[in-house]
Amino acid sequence: MIESAVRPVARRAVAVRRRRRLSIVPYLFIFPAVSLYAVFNFGPVVATVFFSFFRWENIVPTADFVGLKHYIYILRDPLFWNALGHNVQFLVMAVIVPVWTGLFLAVLMAELPRGRSVYRSLLFLPAIFSGVVIAYVWQWIYHPFAGILNQVLKTIGLDFLAQSWLGEPRIALFSTFVAYAWASYGYSMVIFLAGLQAIDPEIYDAATMDGVNFFQKLFYVTVPSLRDVFTFVITLRILTAMGVFGVIFILTGGGPFYATDVISVYVYRHIGNFEMGWATASATINTIIIVTMATTFIRWRERKA
Amino acid sequence: MIGARTMRNLYFVFIHILLASASLITLVPVFWIIITSLKSNKEIRESALSLPTSPRFQNYVDAWVGANFDRYFLNSVIVGIFTVSLVLTVGSLAAYAFARMNFPGNRLIFTLIFLGMTFPETARLGPLLSMMYKLKLVDTRWALVLSYAAGSLPFAILMMRSFFRGFPEELEQAARIDGCSNLQFFIRILLPLSTPALSTLGIFAFMGSWNEFLEALLLINKDSLRTLPLGLMNFQGINYTNYALSITGIIITALPVIVVYIIFQRRFIEGLTAGSLK
Repeated sequence: MIESAVRPVARRAVAVRRRRRLSIVPYLFIFPAVSLYAVFNFGPVVATVFFSFFRWENIVPTADFVGLKHYIYILRDPLFWNALGHNVQFLVMAVIVPVWTGLFLAVLMAELPRGRSVYRSLLFLPAIFSGVVIAYVWQWIYHPFAGILNQVLKTIGLDFLAQSWLGEPRIALFSTFVAYAWASYGYSMVIFLAGLQAIDPEIYDAATMDGVNFFQKLFYVTVPSLRDVFTFVITLRILTAMGVFGVIFILTGGGPFYATDVISVYVYRHIGNFEMGWATASATINTIIIVTMATTFIRWRERKA
Repeated sequence: MIGARTMRNLYFVFIHILLASASLITLVPVFWIIITSLKSNKEIRESALSLPTSPRFQNYVDAWVGANFDRYFLNSVIVGIFTVSLVLTVGSLAAYAFARMNFPGNRLIFTLIFLGMTFPETARLGPLLSMMYKLKLVDTRWALVLSYAAGSLPFAILMMRSFFRGFPEELEQAARIDGCSNLQFFIRILLPLSTPALSTLGIFAFMGSWNEFLEALLLINKDSLRTLPLGLMNFQGINYTNYALSITGIIITALPVIVVYIIFQRRFIEGLTAGSLK
């Protein structure tokens, strides 16, 4: 025992590993978590993919193999493409608005010698709310006559702008996006701020000595230094925008006339009608799109670095 | 002539103005909802911008007692507590093995768990619902607890694993020499040193469970078992005429989260950035 204690750390680690090669101890440690995850999370996701090739119109799937039938139906359904298109629009807006608003706020905050944490707490607040709360808050804001938005517009004499924010097909998607963005930029901001604080101040001192202005500093020093933070923040937007559900489901349910329909709501509607074949096939496509987009994006960023 | 110092102060004032206005715009919806929750139905209908003539706390009593919000609140608390306990126990046990033990499959299993963070909410719904019916767990709180805990595990394991990895190898070796088993080292030494990370994780898991509603919507039909978000959905919709009650319901649902946020703010933001920058 004493002898082993004085041996170099690395050799000891190897010895330990070798002696316990077949130890079941690690498996006992991970067993509860792995089984819980396998049964209630990973398993059902795999089952979604698996059973999308089988007939399933009730609570329980059948063993009746139907091949790609559900996929062919989904890919021919204009409503599926309509929903996917809205996810993409949502993503484009999500990568622009919450990300850059968050960065802008974080950069401003980092300039301040003190008082940062107050603004950080205030601006982050909406990010803690449930999708239900966010959606209902905005439902009331957009309410045609009891809502604050139309009332403010009328009060300041912009009556012509007052309208049914969620009922007008051309702007409904944008209205739901505003609710989503409201709860998102605080998140990006907090992460950017942490990233900014990790940048070596000497880089800034050097830049200042070279006489660069605020915007040069932002685009040539700050943004490149925050590369990994950008990757993380944008990945988060890919995941949330391509999978957005709560805000849209509650605010519009996909309407009016499918003008705000997104894939999650599309999937949910099929589950609600017990059209499980279509639900599982579209959920599978959605999962593949999201996982592929996120992993490709991360790989691409890492390769370019 | 304006001195450099004055210029600098003016610059700070300018930034303060920008940030204060941004904060104000961000918080207007929250203030407005709080103020509106204290108005009578008639006042809400008449003007969105007026202040209540006298604050109507009766709205809260009505929602709490009359609209079953006490029940929903209790259900949310119960589900939250069980979810957090489950996530903390099984999550940290597994994270310890992933962080500090060598075993075949470590990387592979960890990657499969990590992948769970990228799945959209809808990916597991169908089979989950079907399985819960088969297990006769629909309309029980267990359905929610098990599903929420399984949903938070990827983040929990990721976070605790990187936290456990931060401890020096020597700590474990010293414990070994003193005759500690893996489990003893974990319980007696590692866990007490990890309370900050564990409480951060607990807060996240609690908020996740408190805020979730998509699965609850499918798994719970009985009114007596509804959690707050579901209860809230009952009192909403453009056609629902008791405006005061539905707005008050929003506050009752959001308030505990706001309180937790105010108390544990630092934990919260630290957890968030720790999870993201690693």
